[in-house]
Amino acid sequence: MLLRASGSTHNKTYQLATVTGAAEGDGGVPSGDLLIAFAEAVLGEDDRALTPARAALMAALGPPGLVDAAAVVGLFNAIDRVADATGIPLEPEKAAASADFRADLDLDRFSVAARD
Amino acid sequence: MSELYTRPAYPIREDLAAAHSRAWAHIALPGTWWDGAVRVAIAAETRQALGCALCRERKVALSPSAVAGHHDSLGQLPEIVVEVVHRVRTDPSRLGERWYRGVIVNGLTEGEYVEIVSVVAHVATVDTMARGLGLEALPLPDPQPGSPSHHRPQGAKRGGAWVPWVEPADASAAEGRIYPVDRPPANIMKAMSLVPDEVRSFFDLVTHQYLPGAAMRDFAHEYRAITHAQIELLAARVSALNRCLY
Repeated sequence: MLLRASGSTHNKTYQLATVTGAAEGDGGVPSGDLLIAFAEAVLGEDDRALTPARAALMAALGPPGLVDAAAVVGLFNAIDRVADATGIPLEPEKAAASADFRADLDLDRFSVAARD
Repeated sequence: MSELYTRPAYPIREDLAAAHSRAWAHIALPGTWWDGAVRVAIAAETRQALGCALCRERKVALSPSAVAGHHDSLGQLPEIVVEVVHRVRTDPSRLGERWYRGVIVNGLTEGEYVEIVSVVAHVATVDTMARGLGLEALPLPDPQPGSPSHHRPQGAKRGGAWVPWVEPADASAAEGRIYPVDRPPANIMKAMSLVPDEVRSFFDLVTHQYLPGAAMRDFAHEYRAITHAQIELLAARVSALNRCLY
C-alpha cells in the first residue's frame, strides 16, 4: 500500500504485480528488478544465487544502498512473523485502501482469518 | 562503529549498528516473563530452527500438522517453547488460531508466548540482514542475571488479534510510553503490547532498519540510501514471499 502511495506522491504508477511475482521487470521502480532478485535470494537458501544478486545490487546502488536494502529485507522478514504469530488483522482503513489490488493479486489468500 | 561490527565489509550506518547493539543487550536481559538465560536460549533456538529436519518436512507438507515428530532442538528449552520458536521462524504463514490456542492450552501463558515471538523476531531481523550482506551471524550475547518483571498491563484485553493487546486508551503509566502520540498505532505495534518492553525494543529496530514513524509516509523526502519506492518494493516482495497479507 505504501508503494502505491509513494508513487501517487510523485505521479508515478508502479506495477504491483511484480510484488507477487506475477510480472517480471522493475515494476517502474529504479533497480526494482535487482531489488526483487536480492530479496528473493536473501529469503531463499541458495547462496549461489545470493552472491551475484548482492553484487548486482551493490554495483547499482553502492554499498550504502546495499546495506539499507539488506536492512529492509531483514526487518520485514521479522515483521511478517510478528503479524502471522499474533494473528493481527489489517486495519479497516488499510483494508479499504488496498481492496482493489488485494483482489487483483489474490492477496487475501494470505489472510490470517483464512487459516485453520 | 558499534563493537558488534568491528570490521564490516560494508559501511553499516552508525545508528543501525547501535540499534543492533541495543537489541542484543535487550535479548540478554531478564524480560517480562523469561530470564536472560532463557531469552538467549530462545535466540539460539531461533537459529537452530533453520536446520531442523522436522521443520523442513513440515514446510513441504500439505499441512504442517500432518507431520509428527520432534524438532532438532538444542535441548535447552521446554518442548512447547521449541515448537513455538521453530514454527514462527520456519513456517509462519501457516500458523493458525487453533495452533495458537493449543500452545496456550499446553502450558504457555499469553505473555510468555508474545515474548518468545519478540525474541525470534529480533534475531530474524538482525540475522536476515547479515545474510543479505554475506556477514557471519553476530555472536549471541551473554545472558544477564536478574528476574523477569511479570508485569502484565492491566488494560490488556482481547481485540482483533489472537493475543490480547493494549489499546492506546487503556495504556497506563505502568507500561511507560509504547505508542506514538501523534497518530494511532498500527496493529503491528499493538501486536506485542501485552509485553510493552518488547514493543519498545522491536520498534527501535523498525526505526533504524526501516524508517522512523514520521518518515514512513513522508514521500516528499528521502531518508535512506534507497528511496521510499525502493524500500516499499522490497518490503512488499518480502511479505509476498512470506505469504503475509499484513
